[in-house]
Amino acid sequence: MTEYLTPEDLVKSFTDKFQLKIKESHAEKYAYGSKKTEFSQIWMRIDNSIFKDVVKHLFTFDKYPHFAVSSGYDMGNSIELVYHFSIYNGERNREVSINITVELPKSNPVIETISDLIPGAVISEQEKQEMLGVKIHGIPKDARVFISDDFPEGVFPWRRDETGPHKVARNLHGVKK
Amino acid sequence: MSKATTKTSYQLPIGPIHPALKEPVMFEFEIEGERIVNVDVALGHVHRSIEWAGTKRNPVQILYLAERICGICSYCHPMCFALGVEKIAKIVVPDRANYLRIIHAELERICSHILWAGVAAHEVGFDSVLFLTWQMREKALDLTEYLTGNRVTKAITMIGGVRRDITEDMHPKILETLDYFKENFEKLRHVFLDDKTFMLRSQGCGILTKEDALKLCAVGPTTRASGVKKDVRLDQPYFAYGDLDFDYVTPDVLTGEVNGDVYDRIIVRLLEVKQSIELIEQCIKNMPAGEIVAEKKIAKLLATLKKIKGEGIGRMEAPRGEVFHYVKLNESDAPYSWKVRAPTYSNILPWIPMLKGQQIADIPIVAASTDPCMSCTNRVAVVHKNERHILDKEMLHRMSVEKTRRLMT
Amino acid sequence: MRFSMLPQVFAQMFKKPFTNKFPAKYTPDSTTKFMENVQNGKTQIIPPVPPPEGFRGKIQYDKEKCIGCQLCLKVCPSEAIEFKPEEKKIKIYLARCTFCSQCNDICPVNCLSMSKDFLLADTDKYSKELTVE
Repeated sequence: MTEYLTPEDLVKSFTDKFQLKIKESHAEKYAYGSKKTEFSQIWMRIDNSIFKDVVKHLFTFDKYPHFAVSSGYDMGNSIELVYHFSIYNGERNREVSINITVELPKSNPVIETISDLIPGAVISEQEKQEMLGVKIHGIPKDARVFISDDFPEGVFPWRRDETGPHKVARNLHGVKK
Repeated sequence: MSKATTKTSYQLPIGPIHPALKEPVMFEFEIEGERIVNVDVALGHVHRSIEWAGTKRNPVQILYLAERICGICSYCHPMCFALGVEKIAKIVVPDRANYLRIIHAELERICSHILWAGVAAHEVGFDSVLFLTWQMREKALDLTEYLTGNRVTKAITMIGGVRRDITEDMHPKILETLDYFKENFEKLRHVFLDDKTFMLRSQGCGILTKEDALKLCAVGPTTRASGVKKDVRLDQPYFAYGDLDFDYVTPDVLTGEVNGDVYDRIIVRLLEVKQSIELIEQCIKNMPAGEIVAEKKIAKLLATLKKIKGEGIGRMEAPRGEVFHYVKLNESDAPYSWKVRAPTYSNILPWIPMLKGQQIADIPIVAASTDPCMSCTNRVAVVHKNERHILDKEMLHRMSVEKTRRLMT
Repeated sequence: MRFSMLPQVFAQMFKKPFTNKFPAKYTPDSTTKFMENVQNGKTQIIPPVPPPEGFRGKIQYDKEKCIGCQLCLKVCPSEAIEFKPEEKKIKIYLARCTFCSQCNDICPVNCLSMSKDFLLADTDKYSKELTVE
């Protein structure tokens, strides 16, 4: 039987193991319905160097953590990626979501792949490569997944700087009479 | 033929647009004879840059943009976005609104599963079942039109609640539709689960093992049919699901064993229709009184959202699986970042282990059993040595129907 | 049970058809001629099934009540509403309208409402029937 740790214990397990490399972490609780059933979501902000070890540490809580998707955005000087995991599914009202934010400098946006640990993460990693220009080190399949092959190289749609899609986007609003 | 022929494998691309597939997806099959040896998947043919368009609109406008991501899960996407924004802004949704939200979500689940049942029957060749199920679905769509104003794009979500109330005088019509479904559920169950041809066609076909389902992070009925208990309504109860009485639906509830094949997926979806009917009845019985939305003045809501900063996640169980929205607000009119993950994207990688070892004529039913989104038509090119034969939609569908006829004799 | 659908199919032959009736009993040879006959009163058209209350059809605008606050422009998801600054009234283009009725909800004086009109097909996007002002 799985041993269910409370969200505070989960956060403590990470901070005990990785100490200062975890820059910020907190657990948030939300209550829904007339009976006010609660569930928690954990947010962590970590250093890029321990990223893969943090994901490996997740496996000590649940043999098959569920990976939903990874989102990313451009913060000006750096790119931030947020990986969304969840553990402890299978029993009523036990699941805890864990969101891990990693900050990558624009001069060197490289991050390790997790598709050897969780094969279902391949599509999400390919998406980050083409949308934000991040390099995923060790990805098994390096090809465009959502953007067509004739889209120009070097244009990253989610970026807000000069490599953004400004020239490629058409303004469809200019057609009203 | 005097020359000795060697057994070579040849490549069969299917897609991007194909009748059995709801979203355009490109497959490359490597086949030997009729058996599939290897599968490769490529995506991206209906990329509409919705997330980028969302960063240029305010949250109320994004609700309607999100609704048009998918026709069948058109209720889940705006609702998930609203869940995310409510977490950031710490808006407390009134109890009555939560119960109303459940009623609409379950009604959409009934419509979607019945539509899927018709499409699956059509892929096997049972066209009369297609018409029977879509006839039943018309009643559900009539009820949706009565409650929300439109059959498909419901437009009933608002950040903080719902836009329309269900008053006492609407209850008779809802209960009448539910009774109609309860009477006809037995007909559906009998046709799908007791029919020998259907069983021969679907049992042992397109198997997804429990370990593959867990490793590839599959979601929804696809993974529940392989025995994995994953259901966002029970794992992290949103709306008011924590108050209701129901359980995970896996095939051993009905048959006692789990195989992970197409037949199990049919069982899971039909049992979920029954579960949804019961959930709607529970909601109507226990509906609390109160407001239907947290903040009635929308201009005030927009002004509040303009001032907050934070990130939030919304997760919901759509008919196809887990829908995931991530929203980041940064003190401006439009969100800074918005990420949408529709359930089919997690269910595409499981196609690879499911299709290895199957026959070409099984491709439509296996692909349709994971319930991807809408169907369009195009051709399939079969490259055989140096000649190119084009198999179009009718041909592939005919191959699937002929296999059924062969099994019947 | 090999032919499990057969009882169903036989029963259907004796029941009333489930689908709504087509406007004409038999397909007319020329649709435009048929519509002319209906206008003159020579033939009757079977009317469409009326939509329920609360159906979101063509938008209706009460011009006197409008105060020109421009709140409806802020929430329209497809930017189908245009503000006329000299009159301080609005103009709605139905070719872009998504029939969401969000503008109805936000209007402080309730001058917008949705009718049950849904037969709106036209060849010109900006024709008179498809603009409301």
